[in-house]
Amino acid sequence: MFFPKAMTEIELIVPAKDLLPVTKVLSGHGIFHQSDSSYSYPGAESEKGASESWQNKAAAFAGLERRLQLTMQSLGIEEGDTPASDFETITDPSLVLPEIERIELEVKNMNDQVVTTQKNLEGLHAYLSQLESIQDVPADFSALRDSKYVYSVLGMIPAANVDRLATSLSRIPHVFLTLRSEPQKKVVWLAGAQANADVLERAVRSSYLNPLSLPVGYKGTPAEIIKSIKADIRQAEENIVQWRKALSSMAVKYGEDLRALYWQIHTSRIMSDAIVRYGRLKYTYVIVGWVLSDELEVLVQRLKQASHEILIETFPTGRSGHHRSVPVALRHSKWLRPFQMLVTTYARPRYGELDPTWIIAIMFPVLFGAMFGDVGQGLILAGLGALMASGKVKALKGMAGLGGLIAVCGLSATVFGFLYGSIFGFEDILHPVWMSPLHNIMQILTVAVGAGVVLLNLAFLIGIMNNAISRDWGHLIFSHNGVAGYLLYLSLLALLAANFLPAFPIPASVVTILAVGSALAVMLSEVLIHLVERHRPLLEGGLGTYFIQAPVELFEAVISMLSNTLSFVRVGAFAVAHGGLSSAIFILAGLAGGEGGIGYWIVVLIGNIFIIGFEGLIVGIQTMRLSYYEFFSKFFSGGGMRFEPLTLNPGDKE
Amino acid sequence: MSGGGVSGYAAIHAKVRAMYSNLLSVSEMIALADSPDFPALIAALKRTGYGSYLNQVKDKDLTVQHALFQIKRRLADAFNSVIQMTPGAVRPLLVQLFRYYEIGNLKAVLRGIVTGAEWDRIEAVLYPLGERTVFTPQGMLESGNVAAAVELLRGTSYYETLSFAMRRYNAEQSLFPIEVALDLAYWRGLWQESVQLAGQDREQALRVVGSLVDMNNLIWAIRYRVFHHVSEEELINYTLPFGYHIRDEDIRAIAAGAEIAPIVRRLYPSISDVDVMLEDPRSGLPLLELKLKRHVMERCMAAFVGNPFHVGVALAYLVLHDLEIQDLVVLMEAKTSQLADEQFRPYMIREIPV
Repeated sequence: MFFPKAMTEIELIVPAKDLLPVTKVLSGHGIFHQSDSSYSYPGAESEKGASESWQNKAAAFAGLERRLQLTMQSLGIEEGDTPASDFETITDPSLVLPEIERIELEVKNMNDQVVTTQKNLEGLHAYLSQLESIQDVPADFSALRDSKYVYSVLGMIPAANVDRLATSLSRIPHVFLTLRSEPQKKVVWLAGAQANADVLERAVRSSYLNPLSLPVGYKGTPAEIIKSIKADIRQAEENIVQWRKALSSMAVKYGEDLRALYWQIHTSRIMSDAIVRYGRLKYTYVIVGWVLSDELEVLVQRLKQASHEILIETFPTGRSGHHRSVPVALRHSKWLRPFQMLVTTYARPRYGELDPTWIIAIMFPVLFGAMFGDVGQGLILAGLGALMASGKVKALKGMAGLGGLIAVCGLSATVFGFLYGSIFGFEDILHPVWMSPLHNIMQILTVAVGAGVVLLNLAFLIGIMNNAISRDWGHLIFSHNGVAGYLLYLSLLALLAANFLPAFPIPASVVTILAVGSALAVMLSEVLIHLVERHRPLLEGGLGTYFIQAPVELFEAVISMLSNTLSFVRVGAFAVAHGGLSSAIFILAGLAGGEGGIGYWIVVLIGNIFIIGFEGLIVGIQTMRLSYYEFFSKFFSGGGMRFEPLTLNPGDKE
Repeated sequence: MSGGGVSGYAAIHAKVRAMYSNLLSVSEMIALADSPDFPALIAALKRTGYGSYLNQVKDKDLTVQHALFQIKRRLADAFNSVIQMTPGAVRPLLVQLFRYYEIGNLKAVLRGIVTGAEWDRIEAVLYPLGERTVFTPQGMLESGNVAAAVELLRGTSYYETLSFAMRRYNAEQSLFPIEVALDLAYWRGLWQESVQLAGQDREQALRVVGSLVDMNNLIWAIRYRVFHHVSEEELINYTLPFGYHIRDEDIRAIAAGAEIAPIVRRLYPSISDVDVMLEDPRSGLPLLELKLKRHVMERCMAAFVGNPFHVGVALAYLVLHDLEIQDLVVLMEAKTSQLADEQFRPYMIREIPV
């Protein structure tokens, strides 16, 4: 629950005869993350042929899959879901190839005709749009092109290049006209003296002005050519409609066959890709990977059913030490997924690292609710979140992942609304169960900072635990997020407390000694950590640089401890601001009409919508900031490798 | 602040600050430069923010190319992460900035088609853009010719630009006009996105983007004149009329044959030895480019000072990250070729004492 799912490394020795059933078990359930063992067990020279054969098969399946996808795309056929029917073995590419080629050829011929004609059609439309800009000109442009004294170009240029072309010709006399403008391109006419033809030509070429060329076979004035082109366009469009009808018939005729072939090839491709990464011994294959420990027993049973001679070795992986190569699976319940998303947006935890999803699932809504406490607005937010999460509203479907998060935050805001006695901004309807922030400003700010101290203590302790689990003893003891840093933080807090509380039980001298000792440890942490880790050189960058750098880093550590703590004051400040904003809205409502009037209620309504939308967003961002910057940065380094199981069904993936 | 002001930038600013602090520190960069060889460099890099990316590949498979690919993935992730969190109004600017790498990929694929390279070779040099790309490089390469590959881009923002450039490609059988057209369209697009912003966002975006435009425009102008010997009108058409520091008059003066050194000295008084560098452009121009990059780096670092609630912070971080990766490329190549300190350190953007 508090860590990524437990993983067990599994090593299998599989007789060659059981290769396919075992692969089927491994790839069929979405629980096995394969490691590439083909490097460690490349096989003897005599077995190279077999490995290459699998590589060739995998490549052949990948090629066939792509071809099938293209054919299905041409016919507008969806891949559909994984078929319910079971598959027995990897299919032989040479057996399905003739069938695929036959359908592909039939579809391709027809589709090519459509594509070619569409391309011609585009060309004709392009000619047409170019010519339309000069359709009133009763001249033949070839005459201008062949002029003895005038250099002239009629053509199309990227719109962005027009000014630059004009600039580049500023030193020679010329005429430059825009005949037609589109957002991306322009039809222009450029003319100048033949004597300057070389300059004009270079400018035309370097500005990507493409001279307009009339299609072969069309003659006459622009208006006459336009008429002929339009007739050809009509004919081409009619042809395309006919061919499209034929393609639709083919989609009906071959739809089921193509889908079946696609899934056959797809599963074969996945399985052969997996086999390519198996290690190879003389008569056996070596398969290495990771399996979710919860699923290990089931997998082992299935593997033993698939192969009686299989050798299975499992290595449960503890959390301690460094586990960079262990994949990380986060499989939380549906309710925790939005918070998991919040965590993975920051980073994916390493295997031995605490997965902070649970903590953030509690902390995030509480901080949000504390800043946005209002019964009515909270309930609306919760309802909106539930609607988003349900996916029933099409416009909100893209934000379904956020729905759960918003709903929980809304409920938390509702609870705090009761505690603060606030409903839709009205502070006099409900009696506050706890206190009204607007009337107890210092108290709410103090509580907010207090909550920050508790959370930062928690963050320090988790950081220390993470370092202990990964056995980073140096960092555990001396780093500014380790024991030394924690003691420094506690002693700073104690010094502050001693100043304000005369009856503080610990003597000031003890606290001072503790503060100085831990500060020294933090300041010298680089050297001390290197000493513990036996890392040489002890100092990187020279003694001089170090003695300038170390006090600055200590100063930065102390400042960040204080600023991180004070940062939580915003929780109280936003709770106060929420009340303040509501008061402002009631003042505006009062100005808009007497209390109880229509104007009054319209302003109250708009004000509440504004608060839910605008303040809700700001509070959400502030909560995220507190979680990421103040909390996570103390203990969460992330960098875990994602668990990507072999699966025939894309829906199995995280 | 068109993008959302304090509220819009609070989260992204926090995240970018955290990411900025994970860029390589001076001491880390010194440690990397001090690594005796490539394996030691990789070991040192694994102790930095790049560690989680490099650790995903077995040590024996970590060639220079592979390591670079992994390192670039971090920048791609940074882009994705920053773009996701950025206010909607300024997001197109960051997306356009990211297109720089897509254009690099596009050029690589087109060069691969012209040279008949295999997919494996091209794949290795492509930038890892993940899903944030509008074309499939393999499909383009396998189309076999430039015209067919360009057809596959139909419907993307590149198609219009390329369809104009294709006429010249067909006539000249050179990728030069295509690459120039892509570059010009890219920088125009980036400038346009910056100009469209308002207030602090506009000011900061123009400062960072403008510095990049200045650097490219100036280097292009000098290169076209000194190496390509293009005519005045061609040079004007192959450069941009805008920038932060550089005005069109400066570019036009270079195009018209004015002495280059006084122009550069006037534009960048802090850059020394301009005359010496331009005396021998083959060796001097890369040095000038390096100094201009350092100037861009200073501008980016300045974006982190003062009011942080604008797009400049995100832009500057992403540019700094890119410059850091350029330094890592230098380091990796230097360590693989066992170059002495004085042979590679002067070419690093981040100045590391020899």
